[in-house]
Amino acid sequence: MSLSNQPPTEDLEDLYENAPCGYLSLSPDGHIVKANKTLADWMGAGSEALLGKPFHDILTFGGRIAYETHLAPLLRLQETVNELAFDLLRADGEQVPIIANAAERRDAEGRHRFTRITLFKAVERRSYERGLIEARSKAEDAVGLSLETAALREQFIAVLGHDLRNPLSALTAGLGLLEKNEDLSDRGRKIVAEMNGSLGRANALVGNLLDFARGRLGGGLGVDRDANQPLTPALEQVVTEIRAIAPDREVVANFRIAEPVDCDRGRIAQLASNLLSNAVTHGAREVPIRIEASTDAERFTLSVANGGAPIPAGAREQLFQPFFRGAVRKSQQGLGLGLFIVNEIAKAHGGTMEVSSTPGETRFTFTMPLAR
Amino acid sequence: MVLQRNNVTISGRGTRPILFSHGFGCDQHMWTEVARNFENDFRVILFDHVGAGRSDLTAYDSQKYSTLQGYAEDVVEIGCELNLTDAIFVGHSVSAMIGALASMKAPGMFSELIMVGPSPRYINDDGYVGGFSREQVMELLDFLADNHLGWSAAMAPAIMGNPDRPELGGALENSFCATDPEIAREFASVTFLSDNRADLPSIETRTLILQCQEDIIAPIAVGEYVHAQIPNSQLKLLNATGHCPNLSAPDEVTAAIREFV
Repeated sequence: MSLSNQPPTEDLEDLYENAPCGYLSLSPDGHIVKANKTLADWMGAGSEALLGKPFHDILTFGGRIAYETHLAPLLRLQETVNELAFDLLRADGEQVPIIANAAERRDAEGRHRFTRITLFKAVERRSYERGLIEARSKAEDAVGLSLETAALREQFIAVLGHDLRNPLSALTAGLGLLEKNEDLSDRGRKIVAEMNGSLGRANALVGNLLDFARGRLGGGLGVDRDANQPLTPALEQVVTEIRAIAPDREVVANFRIAEPVDCDRGRIAQLASNLLSNAVTHGAREVPIRIEASTDAERFTLSVANGGAPIPAGAREQLFQPFFRGAVRKSQQGLGLGLFIVNEIAKAHGGTMEVSSTPGETRFTFTMPLAR
Repeated sequence: MVLQRNNVTISGRGTRPILFSHGFGCDQHMWTEVARNFENDFRVILFDHVGAGRSDLTAYDSQKYSTLQGYAEDVVEIGCELNLTDAIFVGHSVSAMIGALASMKAPGMFSELIMVGPSPRYINDDGYVGGFSREQVMELLDFLADNHLGWSAAMAPAIMGNPDRPELGGALENSFCATDPEIAREFASVTFLSDNRADLPSIETRTLILQCQEDIIAPIAVGEYVHAQIPNSQLKLLNATGHCPNLSAPDEVTAAIREFV
């Protein structure tokens, strides 16, 4: 141990030769004119063996091309280049991954004297970076695959929805014949009525499926708007249907539509029907379901309200997403397309859907301008 | 539109147009040193290929630029936009072939073609020496994946959206060569996998080939091949070494071009 208080003096020659990084100087035509011992050791050669060689000779092929097409031009243009990743090629064929900074040393007249390069071994960093690149390309592949799967699924839904319509119409026709032409017992008539209700629900579900598929595959929901047709009878028809399907539920309707509404009546009826079905499924049995529709000078408003537990705030934002289903009993679950289609119908009319939900009441409100 | 897309810059006090086209790697700055020597007596036109420099990256289309023809179409569009006739086309590296293709697409647009370090095919083929093996080209493509050369996705909007505000790009390290890695890789494949040997005999434009010493990308044998195949061509061997004499020996390149035109 030294007793002196003098700090040790750094030996610049030793600092160059044994620095914890490689040093390399090139002539303007790219030949090695000086290299330190650290670099020579990495290369498995004496520094003398490196002198006079073209820099190319200790680079892999990719590095040579990058040197010619990027590094050399960049150095001429901006004097320094930082953080280049190269692989050095040892005489025994082994590669040494490095990160390099380079700078041109120019004289007072601006003439290029040397290119100086500082090199850092980067074995672990490079394998980490390659890992990242690999992970990214895997992630990109996975996204591509899942998009493909999603597209296939949507096509499948479209075909399924379409093909289900035929057996459903056959069933509807059959039930109609039974009702009209057969001498049914009271119990038989009751069963047929229940079957009709179920069929109505099945038809609505298939209709939603097809609308969803059309919206996704064909670019938006089609609407056929006509301000001259009255809207109230279409809405009354929807209320009659829902009362038939759910005879034990009280549905209070209040329609005050004074102005013509430039809308697709079928679509608005579908919107009301979807909202009413939801209210029947999710609302408290003892609280009446309210449907109200009215016009003011500028807007048409339709709302459906029911009682029961409120929709959690977190779920409200996702309500209008396709295939979203709240927490309900399995037997009551639909496809989760009803509200998605409601929202699509609203958008197709230049309108909006809003939802408010408190312990007292959950209310869905559709608003649209009377005219385009 | 075309002029913005390719970041075309025009300078010079002369009337005869001379168009400089950069190769794979950096952008139009590759030509700055040479181009300024022509400003006194020529109309000097510089541009960036789509995908390079400050070109409009939103115009990049992998399909269109999967062959050199796509790049040649752009050159012709620039030429039409500027009403070029009897112009001089100076193309470095892969742009030499792009210029040759453009001269065939639009006869009369260019009356002189100057090819600096051209190669019609980089990969060796039965009896033809291009200088590269297919494995080496693949190795190069992998190398590019490791080197983003200053490209940062976060800075992309600054480069691509604001050609009129070059100071934004100045914040970038290595900005002259900063390229979206995906585009760089595609440009490298188009360049190094190209084979335009069959086009050479159909080049009718008067052509000068400038060949460097010790150029590993375009060796002397390739320069001689190009000269032998283009009917109306001269071959000039420069003292400059390496692949970029436009930067390492701008005066020698200038003198050779002036002597020819």
